[in-house]
Amino acid sequence: MKLTVQDLCLGYAGRRVIKHVSLEIDAGEMVAIVGPNGSGKSTLLRGMSRLQKPESGRVLLGETDIRSLSSREVARLLAILPQSPDGGSDLTVRELTWRGRYPHQGILQRATKPDYEAVEWAMHAADVTAFAERPLVSLSGGERQRAWIALALAQQPKVLLLDEPTSFLDIAHQVEVMDLLRKLNREGMTVVTVLHDLVLAGRHADRVIAIRDGQVEFDGPPREVFEARALERVFRVPMMVLQDPETGLPIPLPSAGSRCD
Amino acid sequence: MSGMAAHPTAEPGALARRGALHGRPRPVVIVGLAVLLLCVLGFLSLMYGAVSLSPTEVWSGLTSDSDLFARNVVWKIRYPRLIDGMIVGAALAVSGSLLQGVTRNPLADPTILGMTAAAGLASAIVIVINPQVPQWGITVSCVGGGLVGAGLLFFIAWRGAVSPVRLALAGVALSAFFGAVIVALLSSSRTFLQTSLGFLAGGLYGSEWREFDAALPYVVPGLAIAFLLSGRLNALALGDDVAAGLGVLTDRTRLAILAVCGVLTAAAVSIAGLVSFVGLVCPHLARFTVGSDNRYLVPVSALYGALLVTAADLVARLVIAPSEIPMGIFTAAVGAPFLLYLVKFRG
Repeated sequence: MKLTVQDLCLGYAGRRVIKHVSLEIDAGEMVAIVGPNGSGKSTLLRGMSRLQKPESGRVLLGETDIRSLSSREVARLLAILPQSPDGGSDLTVRELTWRGRYPHQGILQRATKPDYEAVEWAMHAADVTAFAERPLVSLSGGERQRAWIALALAQQPKVLLLDEPTSFLDIAHQVEVMDLLRKLNREGMTVVTVLHDLVLAGRHADRVIAIRDGQVEFDGPPREVFEARALERVFRVPMMVLQDPETGLPIPLPSAGSRCD
Repeated sequence: MSGMAAHPTAEPGALARRGALHGRPRPVVIVGLAVLLLCVLGFLSLMYGAVSLSPTEVWSGLTSDSDLFARNVVWKIRYPRLIDGMIVGAALAVSGSLLQGVTRNPLADPTILGMTAAAGLASAIVIVINPQVPQWGITVSCVGGGLVGAGLLFFIAWRGAVSPVRLALAGVALSAFFGAVIVALLSSSRTFLQTSLGFLAGGLYGSEWREFDAALPYVVPGLAIAFLLSGRLNALALGDDVAAGLGVLTDRTRLAILAVCGVLTAAAVSIAGLVSFVGLVCPHLARFTVGSDNRYLVPVSALYGALLVTAADLVARLVIAPSEIPMGIFTAAVGAPFLLYLVKFRG
């Protein structure tokens, strides 16, 4: 499902964080949003998912303004995984995943067959079935992150937004989570994820959007937009871009010069 | 409650599994035992008090006019008092379970968040102004006070969005403030002083059908709405952003929950005064039995609340019979050690 951002402005208590951003994210795209701390990328994600009310502009889900949908309707089409969620640590993975069915369930309704199927699918897709009965507190960081992804998947969203799903994970778990997102994306889900790690963004996304000071600095496939000068403008640090000898994909790094000044 | 099987089992097997996983008895068994215990204690509290009745006398007092003495004792005094106690317990415990969920704070309860004191203060003011106020007037003023308390709590904690931490802090401050005003009123008013001990400690002395009739119109919808909101509380427990992502309007839900808690607490206060610890302990007992799914936790808390108050009131009447001790002392005396036990050994 397509997600369109039109002239969106977002802010907190009078401070404008996102300034007139317009984006079109097509159905089935895998998009990474990058940018320095405080650039507004998480805020943009919150605006896109209706967690934050826009000061002006609008967000369309398909052809519909998300403000005209009920919050449950939005939740059935679009799932958002905030950065390092901290609740529910006493729940088992299965219980957590079931809570993703909330937007699909009536107030006094019993669990239906589609509910069971969605939960099984979500746990299978996020690869958490092996530890489904364990409480979140007992899991490693990577397992826990996958459990939260299972929660989002149980919503059966057409669009999946994630805020730094790989932060605090070691390299193996980072790759694991990104591979999972790629797999979901190949199955048709639109995936938009805020990432700090430019290497992961270059490797796993079809399209990278860079945000600086609440505006889009560049936007395109990593092979085209990951270029040292552009990255320097965004991150204000000397950069270089290597090429992955296996895939030919760009690997952006801070250049050695940054250590000297 | 006819056992957990009657509930929508949206997290299938979760309850049975939880039991198996931690080596506890199955929740269905515990809940069944609690219901049984409530029936037994209920019947005992119809039998014992200033005078003792035999089971046959209790039965005839409940069902017929043939034995006028038994009819008076059972139907006019003990039975309504039993029902009042169960309402008080259920209302406070449900209120506590909602508040612990909404503040994501295991220490939250209607007393600590100032709702009990707000309702108590309103009724104290009304009683001081007009000592002859009818029971429905007391109930209405309590509900007004409870709602004002809930509203203040929300207003103070709201700054663009409501944070659970600010809710808890604001509640503690409001509780201390209202409590101080109640004591000030109490020590300056002679009429109030006479009834103040039972009111302050919380007790069911002399409560009868009047209190029941006045509180019921608030308790029934309050409990019903509480059960309906419990699914949203499950989402809120995952954190605000996750809950919002699941389609829950977080602040609106919090306001609705606080209002329901205000009304339920007020109804309890209008019957029994400032009963503490029921709202704090019972949700923990319930969590210990059925886990943290609020769709089970809230109704099971209600059951445990009814049980705790019924037991406390029975003890309160028997310890120094024919005289009695305010029931609230026993809810604290039983509740506090049990909570300590849970904290220390059941983490």
